[in-house]
Amino acid sequence: MGIDFVDIAQAIIDGLLFGSTYALIGLGFTLIFGAMHKLNLAYAASAIAGAYVGLAMITLTGLPSVLAFFLGPIASGVIGFAVYVTCFRYIPTTNMLAPLMASIGALFFIDEIVIHATAGSPLSFPAVMEDIYLEFGDFGFRGDLIFVLAISLIAMAVLMYILFRTRLGLATRAVSQQPIAAELCGIAGHRTNAITFVVTGALGGLAGCMAAAAVGVISPLLTVPITVKGLIVTVIGGLGSIPGAIIAGFAVGGFENLFLLLFGVNQRDIYVFLLLFVFLVFRPGGVFDTAIERD
Amino acid sequence: MLKLDDLSKHFDGVRAVDGLSLEVDQGEVFGLIGPNGSGKSTTVNLICGVLSATRGKVTFKGRDLHGLPPHRRLNAGISRTFQNIRLFGELTVWQNVWIARRDAPGREAGFIRNWFGSSARTREAIEETLVFADLAGRANDLAQNLAFGEQRRLELARAVAARPDLILLDEPAAGMNREEVEDLRQRILALKHDGITVLLVEHVMELVMGVTDRIAVLNFGKLIALGTPGEIQGNAAVREAYLGSPDSESA
Repeated sequence: MGIDFVDIAQAIIDGLLFGSTYALIGLGFTLIFGAMHKLNLAYAASAIAGAYVGLAMITLTGLPSVLAFFLGPIASGVIGFAVYVTCFRYIPTTNMLAPLMASIGALFFIDEIVIHATAGSPLSFPAVMEDIYLEFGDFGFRGDLIFVLAISLIAMAVLMYILFRTRLGLATRAVSQQPIAAELCGIAGHRTNAITFVVTGALGGLAGCMAAAAVGVISPLLTVPITVKGLIVTVIGGLGSIPGAIIAGFAVGGFENLFLLLFGVNQRDIYVFLLLFVFLVFRPGGVFDTAIERD
Repeated sequence: MLKLDDLSKHFDGVRAVDGLSLEVDQGEVFGLIGPNGSGKSTTVNLICGVLSATRGKVTFKGRDLHGLPPHRRLNAGISRTFQNIRLFGELTVWQNVWIARRDAPGREAGFIRNWFGSSARTREAIEETLVFADLAGRANDLAQNLAFGEQRRLELARAVAARPDLILLDEPAAGMNREEVEDLRQRILALKHDGITVLLVEHVMELVMGVTDRIAVLNFGKLIALGTPGEIQGNAAVREAYLGSPDSESA
């Protein structure tokens, strides 16, 4: 029994839909990198932890499960702020390594809290629109993945609007382009950085919830793979490029599912890493090759 | 208005600014000149808070600015331009001015209005600032795509948009031709006419002599002369600082 074109196309479609969560995670890394020229490795951990908080809240209070997609991001935003204060705020900006290491510490710290709180066992996460399945000829679209895509696109549109059309977003971009001049234009760099962490944290929480919803379970074991996938997306997108991160997120999702179909679950990630290497060698500046501005 | 008291900044033993004391009066155009490395730019950085002083203090409108970060000094009424242009290159001309725009004291907008909205009044004020800097036709171009002279004018527009009481101009005429220098001179006079105090750091003597009310001359971080343009031009110590003393070969 061979793999025919329909299988391949279907795998890519599913992957692209799920890839929107990677795009959100990649965006989070990218925005923080753009703002501070630093990586926040605790990012995916705060995303998963936020999803846990969202799940806990609906389970404990009996609220409708859709609310997890609101409460999770809020929790992640708060965690994002805590990560900023503990790992970035008080470390001199010239020190590149210390915040990186501190955020790795935060990654494992958050992860451990989740493991202890849940006894390490996976919990089932409610899916939304899972009983819907749209069919177009040979192809089908899973309802829960369409939900994931729709929410991701809305989140991206809101984010783009803030970044490119509001004074808050412009101020954030101004800080990343010319930190000293921005201070002298009355923008408190620490404040916009803190806002960036909260906003990206919420974005991550949304991605965490949707990844968990698409898989059906949430587990602390998701943290490291999502961190790695997020970093791959960030690098392929070109560190600091916002459209790059979005395109790369979808691309990694699509390729990942294609590799899953072709090579099975054991070898899938080998090929994802291979994709990363291909980009690093042939297009180190990412898909758009504009990357970040360097003075 | 602005008072420097025994202001000093040492970098690893180099005394960039060394015990500088002077006072800038409300509404005047005050020139700060001196040979390269005499401490002019360091002084500007100390006033706007990019650097913190080793010793001494900066007083502005009777308030000691010690420990105040740059964005708070802007709110206190001090804005500046940069010698090496520091525009937000990926933002448009209009957005560069918008970012720096500050409402008049007592009319500050709330958080949401300030960061998410733009009132008709704000847009009008930005429009005016762009006309002042002769950039109205380029409002929607990215700052990084402007010609050099236009970038210099945008630097000025951005500093003006903050509605400062004191504006620090760090070599605004660098690289300008004669005509552009004359335009700049007119703009500085317009600022003065609006009651804004100007501290001008400049090498282009034509501009300094033609626009300032008083001039301070620095050499090796110390004040060596203070007076009107006429007095400074005739000052022997200033001549020596610029041209070197007859018996010294050092530049």
